[in-house]
Amino acid sequence: MTRLRALTSSFRHQMLHFFAEPQWLIPNIIAPFVMTLVALMLFRNSSGNFVLYAILGGGMMGMWGNTIYSSGYSIQFDRWNGTLEAVLATPAPLVWIIAGRALWNALIGILNAVFIFIIAVVWFQVPLALADPLLFFLALFVTLLSLAALGLVFSSAFVLTRNANVLTNGLEFPIYVGTGTMFPIAMLPAWSGPLSLSLAPSWGIDAMRYSALSGYVGLDMGYWGDMVMMIILAFVYVTAAFLLFQKVENRVRVKGDIGRI
Amino acid sequence: MSEIRPIGTEKVIEVTDLVRVYKSSQGFIHKKKKETLAVDRISFSVKKGELFGILGPNGAGKTTTIKMLTTLLIPTSGSAKVLGFDVSKHPYEVRKRIGLIIGGERGLYFRISGRQNLRYFADLYGVPRQEREKRIEDVLRMVDLLDRCDDRVEDYSRGMKQRLHIAKGLINDPEVIFMDEPTIGLDPQASRDTRKLIKDLLVQGKTILMTTHYMFEADELCDRLAVINKGKIVAMDTPRGLKSLMKDTCVIEVEGFGLTDKDVETLKAIPGVRAVSATMNEDKQVLRVQVADAGEMLAPIAGRLSGSNVIDMKVKEPTLEDAYLWLVEKND
Amino acid sequence: MFARVRDFIRVFWSSAVLAKNALFNWLSPPMWIMQLFSISLFQIAFFVYVTKYVQNPDISVTYVAIGNALQSISYVTVFAVCNITGEEKQQGTLVPILSTPANRMAMFVGRAMFQIVNGIATAVIALFYAAFLFGVDFSHADMLALGIVIVITAFAMTGFGLMLSSIGLYLRTSMIIANIFLFIGLLFCGVNFPVSYLPGYLQPISYGIPMTFGTDAARAAVDGSSLLGISGTLGLEILVGLVALLLGYLMFTMFENLSRKRGTMDRY
Repeated sequence: MTRLRALTSSFRHQMLHFFAEPQWLIPNIIAPFVMTLVALMLFRNSSGNFVLYAILGGGMMGMWGNTIYSSGYSIQFDRWNGTLEAVLATPAPLVWIIAGRALWNALIGILNAVFIFIIAVVWFQVPLALADPLLFFLALFVTLLSLAALGLVFSSAFVLTRNANVLTNGLEFPIYVGTGTMFPIAMLPAWSGPLSLSLAPSWGIDAMRYSALSGYVGLDMGYWGDMVMMIILAFVYVTAAFLLFQKVENRVRVKGDIGRI
Repeated sequence: MSEIRPIGTEKVIEVTDLVRVYKSSQGFIHKKKKETLAVDRISFSVKKGELFGILGPNGAGKTTTIKMLTTLLIPTSGSAKVLGFDVSKHPYEVRKRIGLIIGGERGLYFRISGRQNLRYFADLYGVPRQEREKRIEDVLRMVDLLDRCDDRVEDYSRGMKQRLHIAKGLINDPEVIFMDEPTIGLDPQASRDTRKLIKDLLVQGKTILMTTHYMFEADELCDRLAVINKGKIVAMDTPRGLKSLMKDTCVIEVEGFGLTDKDVETLKAIPGVRAVSATMNEDKQVLRVQVADAGEMLAPIAGRLSGSNVIDMKVKEPTLEDAYLWLVEKND
Repeated sequence: MFARVRDFIRVFWSSAVLAKNALFNWLSPPMWIMQLFSISLFQIAFFVYVTKYVQNPDISVTYVAIGNALQSISYVTVFAVCNITGEEKQQGTLVPILSTPANRMAMFVGRAMFQIVNGIATAVIALFYAAFLFGVDFSHADMLALGIVIVITAFAMTGFGLMLSSIGLYLRTSMIIANIFLFIGLLFCGVNFPVSYLPGYLQPISYGIPMTFGTDAARAAVDGSSLLGISGTLGLEILVGLVALLLGYLMFTMFENLSRKRGTMDRY
């Protein structure tokens, strides 16, 4: 019971902080937003489908950026506040606390994506006609959950070391490349295939493309294949996160360095 | 302690041969490994309803000890049990039943209100849903923060933050409370209020382990004290017992102006002087000189200080502070 | 007079050393090196692949690769420099250092010095990627000219970054500004497409950022243009950089005074 309460109250806790300082959303909207605009510029001589393609990619980048940024930031925020030790001293397991926060951050990821969609549509005046809106929103939802799960995994690195922000900064662009947000994964070198496919966003963007762009042909498994893969990956991530957090929590108690900023 | 309180027989905290070593490495190419022995085989126990104090200079191992007892650190060796639960093996059980007050400027979410902070921790501690709001009101009332509890913590004064720390430490109605220097940085009024609160908690039957380096506070509040220096317990007794260590000692208190550290060194060098503590304010200095026989020592001391401006010299009873000083200096 | 110059240099140097030590206390050298090597790689990769996918005849892989290689300087010069004041504020060290008589210019430029070195290194590594991973043809390039472009761009963008950090001093956050400008560069500085693609009313912004001239000059140098050929562009870049630096210094003094009046200096 404590675990579930830790989840829900951390969700609420993160929400409170968001509304206290909503401008902190801006840093992780900017990158994907600008990248989308750049891509749209590059795509500008191409036909209509290309534009929606770019916007979807931008939305995905926005969601991903938010996940990776916020999962790291929320732990660092606790460190700066000095509350990480206080939280560690409660009976609530850390992984459930962070999971609650990751869920809220995933939700905000939608805001990110929506913002990008709106601006791109308004600015470039592209009709946003989704081939199958229902399936699209389902894909969006599942993608968000799998992103939250992946964010949870990354958070464990942050508990371990304050330097983990190198990880967030360092992973942002590789993920944009590796998950084929703005171009097909097939264009990447063959050896990177397995890496790309181990990341939920790769399947997510493919599913979203299937449901938004009529006549799209992407990964062999099709829309439903993509969805299944994402759910499987989400389970894998969550399991990994639980194991990692156990190890990490133990290690910080042995080393005793969690209090340092 | 003047009030009559029930102190039980059951041991609520049991520490046996506790050791904590910190390992660190510096440098990149030539890694220098450093091992610091922060806590060196300490043993003690605390009974239900007691207020047990740990006294020691900075870096003595007080905070490390508290962190081990509150499951934030794993001991390198030895054992520690709180309410019968081993801190290494059953941290969850320990955490449920204890409160932790490690105060200071940090350790609170400053962008939200005091009440919201308490609500979050109440949830993390599993305070029953139906009781939560009432419990929050109760602890806020106890620390006198009800009027400001909905303001952002970043707008609180230092004293208010400390009070919120205390409220947070009590939010789960713990049986055992660990306090690390609870009155540090507080003004006299706030300190006094905190000490009163501590006494109230004891009357309620709670057990408290407190670290401090304010002697008068330890003297006033604690049932028993352990003096810790360089990771070891150098003495453990009631305040009176510790003071009686000084029963063969007198203190000559020298008040002056213009007294310097050199004067302190000079006094320390006089044969027969056991220890000297000094409070050096700008306008007035007070030196407490510990000697075996005040009668014999008055003259030599006055003599060595003849060039300086001495206002007064009095013979005084040794206090806990003197005992502490002597214990620490003896073991340096 | 001599004493003031000497003090200036002293403050300058120790600020630079402080920044270096602060960076390495926070980020261990291996991490720093890793960051150095990876930042530009994936950014270039991203835009190269998009370019290949889109196959816009106006924009070649070379165009994009060189543009992003130069732009990678911004991570260090704009982002890190802009955050200097943010970090100081957060640590609470802003008030103590501003209560010293030390020359402000020396302090802040000194701290930024290390980032200039960082920036040059980042760009050089990025150009290596361009050559060996993305097949950009350097056979006709004037290496000297290219080298000078990098150095000048690093300095000019640092000046720009210092200007931004002055703004950050006054506002509660330099993080947001740093983020905005870091990525604005991608849109406005002719990194992935020519400035002419932008709507007319936005183009003047491009010319207010030194990087715009840098990417131009870099491409010309790789094409074979000599130093003389790009000297005009470089001159403009230096000018814009200096103006930014000056503006930054003026704003800094102004904001310092304002925040002393209003007491906002250590509000984070």
